[in-house]
Amino acid sequence: MNDAAPLFPVVAPGETQASVTDKVSALALREQAWLWWWIAFLPSLLLLIIGIGAVAYLFYDGVGVWGIDWPVMWGFALIGYVWWIAIASGGTFISALFYLLRVDWRTSLNRVAESMTLCAAACAGIYPILHLGRPWLFYWLFPYPNTMVLWPQFRSPLIWDFVALLTYIISSILFWYQGLIPDFATLRDHAGRRFHRLFYGVLSLGFRGSLKEWTHYRASYAVLAAIMAPLVVSVHSIVGLDFAGGLTVGWHSTQFPPLFVFGAALSGFAMVLLLVLPLRRLMHLEAYITERHLDVLGRLLLTCSLCLGYSYAMDAFTTYYGPDAADRTMFGTRLYGEVAWVYWGTILFNITLPQLMWFRRVRLAPWPVWVICLLVIVGMWLERYEIVITSLRRTHLPSAWGNFHVTAYDWATLAGTVGLFLTGVLLLIRIVPVISMFEMRGLVRRKP
Amino acid sequence: MPSLNLPDDEELIRRFPSLAAPLAHPLDRRRTLKLLAAALATGTLGGCDPGTPTKKMVSAVIAPPGIVPGQPNRFATAHLLDGYASGIVVTHYMGRPTKVEGNPLHPASLGATDAFGQAAIYDFYDPDRAAAPMARGAPTDWQSIETAFETLRTHLAARHGAGAWILTGTVTSPTIGAAIDAVRARYPEARWVQWDPVSRDAVRAGAVLAYGRPVAAIPHLDRADVVLAIDSDLLESAPGHVRFGREFAARRNPARSAMSRIYAVEPTPSLIGVAGDHRFIANARDLPRILQAIADGVLHRPPPADAPDWIAPVVADLLAHRGRALVHLGPHLPAEAHALAFALNEALGARGATLGLVEPVEYAPAGQGASFADLLQGMEAGEVSALLVLDVNAAYVSPRFAAALPRVPLSFVLAPFADETAHGAAWFIPQAHDFETWGDARAFDGTASILQPQSLPLYGGRSATEVLSRCLGPTATTPLAAVRATWKAQLGDAQAWHDALADGVIPNSASRPAEVRLRPEAVRLSVQSPTASAIEVLFRPDPAVWDGRYGNNAWMQELPRPFSKIVWDNPLHVSPQMAAAHGLRNGDEVLLRMGGREARLAVWVMAGQASETAVALLGYGRTHAGETGNDVGANLYPLREVSGDVSITRTGRRVPIARTEHVDASAADPDDILRHGTLDEFNRDPHYLQQEAAGPALYRHVPPGKVAWGMSIDLNACIGCNACVVACMAENNVPVVGKDQVLRNREMHWLRIDRYYEGPSEAPLTLLQPLLCQHCEQAPCEVVCPVEATVHDEEGLNLQVYNRCIGTRFCSNNCPYKVRRFNFHDYAGLERRPAISRNPDVTARGRGVMEKCSFCVQRIAEARIAADRDGVPEQAVTACQAACPTRVFSFGNLHDEGSEVVARKHSPLNYVLLPDQNTHPRVTYEARITNPNPAIHA
Repeated sequence: MNDAAPLFPVVAPGETQASVTDKVSALALREQAWLWWWIAFLPSLLLLIIGIGAVAYLFYDGVGVWGIDWPVMWGFALIGYVWWIAIASGGTFISALFYLLRVDWRTSLNRVAESMTLCAAACAGIYPILHLGRPWLFYWLFPYPNTMVLWPQFRSPLIWDFVALLTYIISSILFWYQGLIPDFATLRDHAGRRFHRLFYGVLSLGFRGSLKEWTHYRASYAVLAAIMAPLVVSVHSIVGLDFAGGLTVGWHSTQFPPLFVFGAALSGFAMVLLLVLPLRRLMHLEAYITERHLDVLGRLLLTCSLCLGYSYAMDAFTTYYGPDAADRTMFGTRLYGEVAWVYWGTILFNITLPQLMWFRRVRLAPWPVWVICLLVIVGMWLERYEIVITSLRRTHLPSAWGNFHVTAYDWATLAGTVGLFLTGVLLLIRIVPVISMFEMRGLVRRKP
Repeated sequence: MPSLNLPDDEELIRRFPSLAAPLAHPLDRRRTLKLLAAALATGTLGGCDPGTPTKKMVSAVIAPPGIVPGQPNRFATAHLLDGYASGIVVTHYMGRPTKVEGNPLHPASLGATDAFGQAAIYDFYDPDRAAAPMARGAPTDWQSIETAFETLRTHLAARHGAGAWILTGTVTSPTIGAAIDAVRARYPEARWVQWDPVSRDAVRAGAVLAYGRPVAAIPHLDRADVVLAIDSDLLESAPGHVRFGREFAARRNPARSAMSRIYAVEPTPSLIGVAGDHRFIANARDLPRILQAIADGVLHRPPPADAPDWIAPVVADLLAHRGRALVHLGPHLPAEAHALAFALNEALGARGATLGLVEPVEYAPAGQGASFADLLQGMEAGEVSALLVLDVNAAYVSPRFAAALPRVPLSFVLAPFADETAHGAAWFIPQAHDFETWGDARAFDGTASILQPQSLPLYGGRSATEVLSRCLGPTATTPLAAVRATWKAQLGDAQAWHDALADGVIPNSASRPAEVRLRPEAVRLSVQSPTASAIEVLFRPDPAVWDGRYGNNAWMQELPRPFSKIVWDNPLHVSPQMAAAHGLRNGDEVLLRMGGREARLAVWVMAGQASETAVALLGYGRTHAGETGNDVGANLYPLREVSGDVSITRTGRRVPIARTEHVDASAADPDDILRHGTLDEFNRDPHYLQQEAAGPALYRHVPPGKVAWGMSIDLNACIGCNACVVACMAENNVPVVGKDQVLRNREMHWLRIDRYYEGPSEAPLTLLQPLLCQHCEQAPCEVVCPVEATVHDEEGLNLQVYNRCIGTRFCSNNCPYKVRRFNFHDYAGLERRPAISRNPDVTARGRGVMEKCSFCVQRIAEARIAADRDGVPEQAVTACQAACPTRVFSFGNLHDEGSEVVARKHSPLNYVLLPDQNTHPRVTYEARITNPNPAIHA
């Protein structure tokens, strides 16, 4: 029904290369931050401080401050880790995968998306360390020559995960930074204040825009993009294997790797929309982030939601088709146990509500889209709650069944990562160009 | 900054009453300094002597003989429960006791212990044990105690002991008995009361009714084909219960022996009822009537018309096994019932076959209840002028006693803890632990043991013999001298004495068979049923803290009760029917009213409890137990003292009940987990429970070692007594975590006993399954640990390397059996017991580390060293196996074809838990078989 509608332009008509550079660099080079920025920043900082306090007490008193118990040995830390790393995927999908596909609408979104990825990956990266019973020994996961003459256990999904996560985070940082170098050079050249010239000058690593530099730059950026695109699939597959590699009831499923990739893409696109919609309005970026982008992202969200719905259906199907009674018992508690609201919340927020995206009118309406995306993010958290906690509550032996009792420290740590994420995103949009200027200039040049 | 508030004099005196006198006489500065200097000097000198006997002290340049660093020493002694001894062997490292084992040579132990015996180590090291004497609840010095005894002696001598009473528990010790007799000989008017809070009076009185004089009955369960147990405590607390457990289990596995058939009639689940074949549930007030009906049947009298229909087949079964049948009654039934049971046993030809009668074991058998009532009356009337209480916490048990105690001018209390009675007495003397002094005691069959000290006194207590001898003169007889004097005839020469100490038993000291004849009137006795009340409250000792004496023992507090799995609490156990009628759910707080007294406590719905029965567990609500046991649960003794109408009303509050079964899984089907069937099915096809579903393996690794450690667990033998659980805690330094952490599902037991129900909660089949690390050959925990903190050794042990563990906890998630425990907090550091009480061969685990059963790897290491050194085959006994009265566990080398564990693994009942997980565990189970009477329709 949407095919008949005309395509919206990727960039508003009338934008020139000079206007792109002027508008975007003016945002980064502003003397004072916006009022809305401070209104968003201070609560974020407060959340971050709460989180730091919670983590300090965690280190002092041990993981017992959390609600984890026997048999639910994994709790909010694992939920948070999977949730954040999935959110982080959005940036990589947009900037690497769609770069390789030469999609024109990518240019307006990749900077915000990648900044978001970076902050979400930081949140994801700290959780596995906080999760440990003895976090100060986390480096034992590295395969390094040590006095114990011991290599890590390479059969453990946690080692795969450690390697995948580390690779992903490092690559994301490099990819983001490399994408920024020409823009930093632009800012250096446009900066009025000495501080800005120095700051961006150092960051631009001496990039002068010579033909030779551009040749190398484009080649290496393409290589990085080619590395990043499969990496985002592999990291989420391996996160899926963290669970599927176990014998545990509810985890031992071969479809977990694709399920986790679908879930990651869904939450990634949702978070991109969640950030882009207000920024577009507050930073007056309507010329670069047009209805076209909303439309595309809405369609992507819908596609991911359908894929995920298929995975959920298969999860239920294999459980009831398969022979494992413990699996069925556990799944029964998901469907109609005391925490059934988690499962049904997951279905409602991740599958049912995104079906509204079938309608073009909904896709183009910022407020409904924003609310749907927010609920998807919540729904994805609930999905991880269901996978991590609901599964562990009901194991093979009824004598070892248990429940999970969440504590204030669980919530405070989660709030802390939200604070870290928002603080990070707000700082980044304040100091780096929110739109990739050199790529946007190219887009404007190609599409006058 | 808070300002420094110095308490004023009144406040000081309130807190420390002993300061009242000095504060009344203010000192000048000069005199204060003088006193301070003197105190410093004498205090320093005093510090050199920790109150040990004054002997030569030489630094250990030459090691003490027999003590090799790192090597354990073992010394026999005995553990007492309500006066009755069970032989134990205490393991020492460098002179400090760390572990209790059973004494194989002792008839009440046969090498095993109960949970109480295992927990003795915790009590011994308990930091709350009394260290100083008290006067009226305030600390005082030993000199004042001596002076008080001087006064007592004068008082006793002046009145020939009139108005003087001695209160003890049941005494089987010939030495203490002789010491009491000596006191009574000197002061003939003095009276002696033996009284235990949990009374066995009815058993004693029943014997007197049946035979005209006291005798001790000794059941032989291994010789009984049919057992009728009516509200029986045979396997949990009857004197000799550890031995009875062994005898019981000897006839319960059809793969090894002809099965016995156990009928139990009881108001609330007992160990023997649950482990038996038929459980008939009846309210306690109906038991006499049921017994009468059975007696009528056995004695060929017309049975009453309203007898339940299962009685006829039970009677027929008993009669068909004349000479191989046994009837046993619990101590809560009236004396007439016990007399009738004696008559029944005689009629069934049990005497001399399944039931032995021997001369009484107690030093002076007496009706305890009546004489304690006399004492109470005397105290209330002010006629008791002197009272010596030897380790009986009567003030806690009896509010009447507590109220009257201050009226006794010369009251002396000897107790290991400054308990409720100690605080009410004029004088309190700390008692030496049984591990700190000499003594003796008899077992259920009269066999005597010498209790030898295992250590110098940790807190400088006195023994009962010392205190009793103080009543005679200022110089106390040493306990050693007293014991040697008692046994001069038998153990006069040094070798005999040495042998008795080494063996832990005194040869030929068992009671002689009693030459008694059943009085003819015993057969005609009729048993009166108590008057009916809508709710019948049964007061029973708690399975873990007993009558309250283990209230400060954290191992016992955190010991899951056999069927409810409750810890750290004593909710009122109500029947499912009563719960439905009153709208009660687990954890509802109720007001239990009885005869004008009331208690506020939670309720617990006990499956398989008689419809109108509520069970009140005693031993809780202690106020002076110590830091661990104070204010845990509710004290229900006051309600026992009164009678009257019972009412249970909900207060509306909900109270969390800590349990180690965290989710009510009674609806779950245990069929494949805990395989069970009947003897008929077994006889048709012995292997019928063995349908394994082990799938193909892509990569099957079999540990290649010379030795392959494995275990077999016999579910037919497990009675749920928990001895293994405490033994494991003691051996492996397993920490307790406390009630709040248990409520958060964080208990640390390496070995747990799972309980499953099958059938309706009103009358379920109760099934028990000890569960520990299964030591899988294909262990799922090992592959998921990123740092190789859990690995396999070539002998098949699944090892946990604590130092490598970083606490990812994936191993626990991946364990299908959920036997791994995690140190969420620094539990070992937070424990109240001192570090010296721990097993030095086992690391105490720190925060953030996973732990689990190691098959007692330290014992295996010991066996390996012995094998390397002496070339003997490697043989190890795990702590659970050593403690188990019923030989549930069999452990050893699977490559040794002649070993017991291999034989058990060849049993047709052998099966693997969760075979579809393809874990190939080294632990296997023998399925539970029951032997129901085909004539009784279940």
